Amino acid sequence: MTTIDASRPIDLASRPDNYLTHTRGFLSWALTLDHKRIGVMYMAAVLVSFFVGGVFALLVRTELLTPGQTIPGVTADVYNQFFTLHGAIMVFLVIIPSIPAALGNFVLPIMLGAKDVAFPRLNLGSFYLWLAGAAFTLVSLAMGGFDTGWTFYTPYSTTTTTGGVIPVLFGVFILGFSSIFTGMNFVVTVHKLRPPGMTWFRMPLFLWAIYATAIIQVLATPVLAITLMLVVIERTINIGIFDPSMGGDPVLFQHFFWFYSHPAVYIMILPAMGIISELISVHAHRHIFGYKFIALSSIAIAIFSFLVWGHHMFTSGQSPLMNTLFSLISFSVAIPSAVKVFNWLTTLYKGNISLTTPMWYALSFMVLFTIGGLTGIHLATLNTDVHLHDTYFVVAHFHYVMMGSALIGMIGGLHHWWPKMTGKMYSEKLGTAACIIIFIGFNVTFFTQFYLGAKGMPRRYYDYLPEYQTYHVISTIGSYIMASGFFLTAYCLLSSLYSGRKAAANPWGGGSLEWQCTSPPPHDNFAVQPSVGDCYDFRALRWDETTQGYVNDPALAAEAARNPLH
Amino acid sequence: MAVKTATVVDPFDAPRARHAAGVFGMWLFLITLGVLFVATILGYLVVRLNPDPAEPFRPLDAPGLPHLLLLSTGALMASSAAMHGTVRAIRQGLQRRAARLAGLTLALAIGFLSLQAWAWLDLWRAELRIEDSLYAWTFYVLTGLHAAHVIGGLVPLVVVWWRARSGRYSPEHPEGAVYCAMYWHFLDAVWLVLYATLWLGSLNAAA
Repeated sequence: MTTIDASRPIDLASRPDNYLTHTRGFLSWALTLDHKRIGVMYMAAVLVSFFVGGVFALLVRTELLTPGQTIPGVTADVYNQFFTLHGAIMVFLVIIPSIPAALGNFVLPIMLGAKDVAFPRLNLGSFYLWLAGAAFTLVSLAMGGFDTGWTFYTPYSTTTTTGGVIPVLFGVFILGFSSIFTGMNFVVTVHKLRPPGMTWFRMPLFLWAIYATAIIQVLATPVLAITLMLVVIERTINIGIFDPSMGGDPVLFQHFFWFYSHPAVYIMILPAMGIISELISVHAHRHIFGYKFIALSSIAIAIFSFLVWGHHMFTSGQSPLMNTLFSLISFSVAIPSAVKVFNWLTTLYKGNISLTTPMWYALSFMVLFTIGGLTGIHLATLNTDVHLHDTYFVVAHFHYVMMGSALIGMIGGLHHWWPKMTGKMYSEKLGTAACIIIFIGFNVTFFTQFYLGAKGMPRRYYDYLPEYQTYHVISTIGSYIMASGFFLTAYCLLSSLYSGRKAAANPWGGGSLEWQCTSPPPHDNFAVQPSVGDCYDFRALRWDETTQGYVNDPALAAEAARNPLH
Repeated sequence: MAVKTATVVDPFDAPRARHAAGVFGMWLFLITLGVLFVATILGYLVVRLNPDPAEPFRPLDAPGLPHLLLLSTGALMASSAAMHGTVRAIRQGLQRRAARLAGLTLALAIGFLSLQAWAWLDLWRAELRIEDSLYAWTFYVLTGLHAAHVIGGLVPLVVVWWRARSGRYSPEHPEGAVYCAMYWHFLDAVWLVLYATLWLGSLNAAA
């Protein structure tokens, strides 16, 4: 059934008002309740953090060019702080909020056909909580930094002498609540504020992914919050339930931490999978294959995510029975993940693929996620994990998933919705070139680390045996290639703000509701309630040379209506 | 097929839909807090049930839980009941009764906190220091965690009391009081579970 409204012409000139120009001045942004502005502010803040986290990554890689000290002044202790900061910033300040809070905030209500999220004030509050969390991280740096690793394992985190541990724990605690409130907002919006006609199974797959993510955020994050508080108390008064000398249990910390942090991996990857579902379908101009399977696999992943935390602790002294159970359940996560990958592949098959920048990112995602996912099976297998545990193999695996998949998905989504967010088109040539450079750099950096890890190089080490040096050098060169790709991306996007062509309402040929409003969208999203149809049925769309975008063609719409897809 | 045009009101503009969204959001918030307390209690159980041959969980010279806690439990339950009455009165349009009951809720909540503080002082005078044992540590931290949530709840409670006094609620618009009551009953339930757990945990096996 097709119900794309062809009677509503998209006319930029008649609606000059958009959310960027609706009101002016600093306070109109700082106190805004508009989900689009909040999304844009999140995006700017997250990208700044990404830059900072990236600088620390390059410092780590540069230090590892030679065994022993490479950068003058970077001792082993300073190096420990570098990789800790890289991890903590990238996980808590960048990847977790990047897609839900930045892109999700911007597009979720528009895709749904709603005016805003359910609780706009809470939404703004989440953003300020994020800023407060980031501020605490800076305070921590001023107080001597922290070298605990991003995982804050006890007893190290309760005994290390670096001065910034307590502020950063508070920072992450606050960031957790920012994440919880965003999740609550999304769950309530999806449940209670879907406009008439927007049924569950008409929602774009990105919304299903964000919804599944939000459920994990709401249910898992409080466990991290209380755990961090218990560590703070233990560190302050030198006794606590993680301290074995008084009958406490340090492995309890690991249980608590991974009960949050494993689901957090899906907080990072699920929204990226949602983006890829949109990108693949829109840029291949073909109806998404297996809509319900992709939608429900997101929910399945959310449920599985709570049952696999023990696979981080195969060598922590769990009973063999527990290890076996966690191993088996971890394998089963491969099923819903593969459901998605095969459905994307099938969507591409016989699709009319436009090799746009977002499509390049989507293809990169599929390659990198497949590698990241399949190497996860080595780690979920007990007997190989005992060897690979705490080696660079693990580092490579989770970078393929967290960076190669989650972050690449985010950047792909950023390119996909950039015309909608800013009203400007970027240079396709630059965007594509940057994507390819990042893809090459990424693989040179991290594929090498699979070898490094398989040969026994432990992670987090400052010094290493000379026989590992070749691999480290290759990996570091890859990280420089990758960095240049990201700078090119930044140039490509930022220069479009000044010299980019004006974006049409629907430059890619998307069918979901955000492509029905102007680029950038007006302040209240829709002048009239949009009509809701199958957002993956693109048959009524026709490329229009004059606006350089897709428009609804009444003749095609009528023909599509005569031949319903289902 | 004909173009579908929406004639129904956007739920975003419908007060009833907004209220339903508020109640649902409140449930999610309580579930989040519930997970937080469940994790804390599970952590407590793990260290409590850890077989430690050296000494019992509650050191032999450490006092048991103060009986004052029974009194504070009563105060919190009464406070929860008064809050329930407040919302009922608002729904029935009995504004003065609602204001009185909201004031009573507030007084009982402050009473609960005072009794908790008194219980802490009693233990402190009995030389039970937080750094002495996990028995002391868990007692202070868990009751403290709950008390922090009660203190946090005083702010909305004062607002509800103030708004009830100035007649800002009506049977059609009880929203704020309803959300506050949900939180209050939640704190009551959490305390009962927490108290039962701590009390059972404070009993040493016959030694």
